[in-house]
Amino acid sequence: MTTATAPERRGTGSRTLSVVRLQLINTQSFVWVPLLIMTATVVLCLLIFAMIPGDGLKPSGAAQAPLWYFLALGIQAMTLTFPFSQAMSITRREFFVGTVVVGAIGAAMMATIFLGLAGIEMATNGYGMNGRIAYIEWFFEPGWASAWLTYFTVTLLLYVIGFWAATVWKRFGTLAIAAVLTALGLALVIALFVITRTGSWPAVIDWFAQTGPFLLTLGALLLTAVLSLGAYATLRKTTV
Amino acid sequence: MIDDGKALFLQIAERVEDEIVDGTLAEESQAPSTNELAAFHRINPATAAKGVSMLVDKGVLYKRRGIGMFVAPGARDLLLAERRAAFADAYLRPLLTEARRIGLSPDDVRALISEHATPTTP
Amino acid sequence: MDPVIEVHHLTKRYKDTLALDDVSFQIERNAIYGFLGRNGAGKTTAMSILTAQNFATSGSVRVFGENPYENPRVLSRVCFVRESQKYPDEANAKTAFASARLFFPNWDQDLADELIDAFRLPMKTVTKKLSRGQLSAVGVIIGLASRAEITFFDEPYLGLDAVARQIFYDRLLQDYAEHPRTIILSSHLIDEISNLIERVLVIDEGRIIMDQSVDDARGQATNIVGDAALIDGFIRGREVLHRESLGRVASVTLLGQLSAEERREVAAAGLDLAPVPLQQLIVRLTQRSGDAAGTSTISTEGALR
Repeated sequence: MTTATAPERRGTGSRTLSVVRLQLINTQSFVWVPLLIMTATVVLCLLIFAMIPGDGLKPSGAAQAPLWYFLALGIQAMTLTFPFSQAMSITRREFFVGTVVVGAIGAAMMATIFLGLAGIEMATNGYGMNGRIAYIEWFFEPGWASAWLTYFTVTLLLYVIGFWAATVWKRFGTLAIAAVLTALGLALVIALFVITRTGSWPAVIDWFAQTGPFLLTLGALLLTAVLSLGAYATLRKTTV
Repeated sequence: MIDDGKALFLQIAERVEDEIVDGTLAEESQAPSTNELAAFHRINPATAAKGVSMLVDKGVLYKRRGIGMFVAPGARDLLLAERRAAFADAYLRPLLTEARRIGLSPDDVRALISEHATPTTP
Repeated sequence: MDPVIEVHHLTKRYKDTLALDDVSFQIERNAIYGFLGRNGAGKTTAMSILTAQNFATSGSVRVFGENPYENPRVLSRVCFVRESQKYPDEANAKTAFASARLFFPNWDQDLADELIDAFRLPMKTVTKKLSRGQLSAVGVIIGLASRAEITFFDEPYLGLDAVARQIFYDRLLQDYAEHPRTIILSSHLIDEISNLIERVLVIDEGRIIMDQSVDDARGQATNIVGDAALIDGFIRGREVLHRESLGRVASVTLLGQLSAEERREVAAAGLDLAPVPLQQLIVRLTQRSGDAAGTSTISTEGALR
């Protein structure tokens, strides 16, 4: 059987890069929407800070909003873009790597924005209102680089969780993923129950404090890597 | 493309032959290319090619390298001879069969032919 | 013989159904194939496996001499246009083509633009809001403009009206003439594509029941119409694919060719020879294989529509 030479064929590397471009063409979601959510969150927080009387520290957990959006992005990357990627004759590996890379780029973008915001908070003493959105003390303990990594990892982890869950769903079906999530939830509840019953909360909190944000971030990064590989292994035999 | 049961490439070849016989396609003039035939009749180029190559084998067309297919000298005579030889089988037999079926004798048919053949009919 | 695809003993089993049953065939380079068969016969399954989008239970598939699974060298030269393709939520025709351009090395934007015009495709409308015909057009345009060395069209033109289908066939032939490549068209509408295709591959209940050139396929059978009693005299041991009768007149489709002598006899007996169009032949053959297998087939003409 002959294999005719095809014209200028690009290597897998550049095709993977094209997957990144693919995700970016199809969904402005990787850039504009997170920015939009970020902006809206900041504006809302500022308004709320202004409304809160007094000069005490005003922390806001609203920073989460854009991060949870990445969970949705991870899910969509699989459910919506994977079938199309098959139509584009993209291999599963190229799709996987490209999709994770895009997630990482998005996470890096978010981390940088948060750091920028934190910088502003420090410089303006919390927007002149002692408000805190991005500057979460605990993250910044080991330094600004560590904080950036923490934001990066949290975002990427959520993205990968979404991607992983969607992959399991696509391959094994709704029942399967529901079972897995239920099992995980159950495990979590049991763990909480045991900790409470054995009065171990102080010990747990202590452990967190001792380990510190940097090491915990590395742990989360490891978890991200493991989930990614799990998703890839599942993806390899997934059909549209 | 009317499918009368004959192989498609034969039908294509026949159409080209028709044009040669009635003079539309003159000898030594360029015949339509395979792609042109395929596009015009909306058929697969391979089928058109088969028809063309059959005509080449028959001596009706020949290939001028780098230019295309041309009608061979003497093609018209060749085709006329072929068709005259087949005339009886292709037209007379069915005509007589049908005539018999509807109760016309050969003499009746002869009379009808005289009636219908006018001097101006080529 | 220059095969670009070689399939050996391909089997696909789903729990209790055998979608493909020990299927073997080759696809020749630069020929247009008609891949025909009823719904559920196994066409889409086969094409999915050939493009590594689905997986075989057993058997082997070689595309350009290699296993296509996770093989970008091979897959980048192949394009599979499905019947109902899912597009990303916010995609529109424009983004779909921009994406295709990224991944198909032979992509021809000029051809794509011409086809967009010919099909009157709205470029900025979100795929969710496109009509079935427009979605089919997107698929068809990707398939044609990709100029992939092997292109599969799995009934993507089902949503297209007759005019649009004709545009597709015409453009397909035109582009194939100028840029020959291997094309596999699966369709129910056999007679519509019978002039486009060079070879016929028919699959029925997971098995290949025909694999030959269109001319050979057409030549396989004969249809005699006329007095039923007289026709019986001509069957002469040949297999009857189908018989229809209206009073004393019958139309009998036989497997096999009549000799010149026999044709004269038929004419002399006052019977008519009618051509057996490809669609009819394949319907009859698939019915026959269905009857042989003991499965009841839904009645005749409508079956392959």
